[in-house]
Amino acid sequence: MLNSKIKKSYFFFVFLLTLFLPISVCAMDTVSPTDEFYINDYADILSTETEEYIMSHSSALNQETKAQIVVVTIPSLEGNSLEEYATTLFRKFGIGDSDENNGLLLLLALEERQMRVEVGYGLEGILPDAKTGRMQDTYMIPYLKEDNFDEGILNGYKAFFQEVASYYDFSGEIEQPVEEENSDDDAFIFIFFLLEFGMLAFFIYLIFYNRNGRGRGMSVGGSFSSFGGGSSFSRGSSFGGFSGGGGSSGGGGSSRGF
Amino acid sequence: MKKSTMIILGVVAVIILVIAMFAGSYNSLVDKNEKVDKEYANISVQLERRADLIPNLVNTVKGYMEHEETIINSITEARQNLLNANSVEEESKANNQLTDSLNALMLVVENYPDLKANQNFIQLSDELAGTENRIATARRDYNEVATDYNTAIKKFPTNLLASMFGFEKKTYFEVSEGKNEVPNVEF
Repeated sequence: MLNSKIKKSYFFFVFLLTLFLPISVCAMDTVSPTDEFYINDYADILSTETEEYIMSHSSALNQETKAQIVVVTIPSLEGNSLEEYATTLFRKFGIGDSDENNGLLLLLALEERQMRVEVGYGLEGILPDAKTGRMQDTYMIPYLKEDNFDEGILNGYKAFFQEVASYYDFSGEIEQPVEEENSDDDAFIFIFFLLEFGMLAFFIYLIFYNRNGRGRGMSVGGSFSSFGGGSSFSRGSSFGGFSGGGGSSGGGGSSRGF
Repeated sequence: MKKSTMIILGVVAVIILVIAMFAGSYNSLVDKNEKVDKEYANISVQLERRADLIPNLVNTVKGYMEHEETIINSITEARQNLLNANSVEEESKANNQLTDSLNALMLVVENYPDLKANQNFIQLSDELAGTENRIATARRDYNEVATDYNTAIKKFPTNLLASMFGFEKKTYFEVSEGKNEVPNVEF
């Protein structure tokens, strides 16, 4: 008698467990959004300047267009596939507006040295897979290959921001991203040389001019246009109120190893 | 007299309640069925897109690879199977076949640096990889709602309705078993 009672409660317990089991099995474990939402530097590879830059630009873009660009870095994928991780995270964060699905995710996995740009449904028209791949090759991978993660992410962010902003006719001020890949076009190379000379002259001028001042670090490879200037957006006063708009992704985008 | 009207009212109430219950679960079954169909349509769109990309890829690759006819033929064949497939089972099988032959292609691409650097090829690979990932995502979404639906038609009282109105079990979209294993190629 007692035995059957124990059995019964055992089965009941197992039954209860099975009720909860599917939930814990289905959901892959990804990182959760930080309070800043647009910037989630779990691998700790980004500088404060980059984070602030991305924060101010992404939140301004979101205010005007509802489009959201989110940067996530993680130390490791822990055995998950990059693509599945990215899609799961994209949906968990709810990047982009729930109706327009105009979200964009830049995800970097440090240990695996993999990078993925995941595009929400609504942006697939302006950012087809091949284009996101080419943009990564041009603006990000050359830096990432040299462990220059901060600059790679920032430069890529600028490039993708530009695409999204121009699609919405959003006048967000952003510096030109640097194109790293060599073009075969001779004329282009010639112009490039001229620019390089111009830059060199400019730096020499700066060095002499700023001899005693706090000269800016010689960041060769910085942006050609708009020296100074900076972003005109201040951090919103209501800080901490950033969250996803409930957007979704169907798995569009492209991945790269570096 | 009052007692009998009470009884009649009670019976009517029970009948209405039962009908409401059945109507409710019938409607939820219809909703679930609709969701499965929607997700399935998603898979179909992506499968078609994938099939559309193959001829371009084959044409690009052919110019560089002269000795890889077996692989190229297997890709074309898998694509044809995918286009001819007309059930979830056939589609998933053909899709897996295509994945395998494309994986084989991507392995030998390593031996053709010119092809690897070809812009056209890089773009096509990105589009293909993107489509594959969309298929994987659509497959997961589909299987999820299909599971939900399949569970519902087994449960009481929906199971009665399901057999009455001919709601059939949905087939899952399977992944090939060795999906994550890299095929062995000897040089």
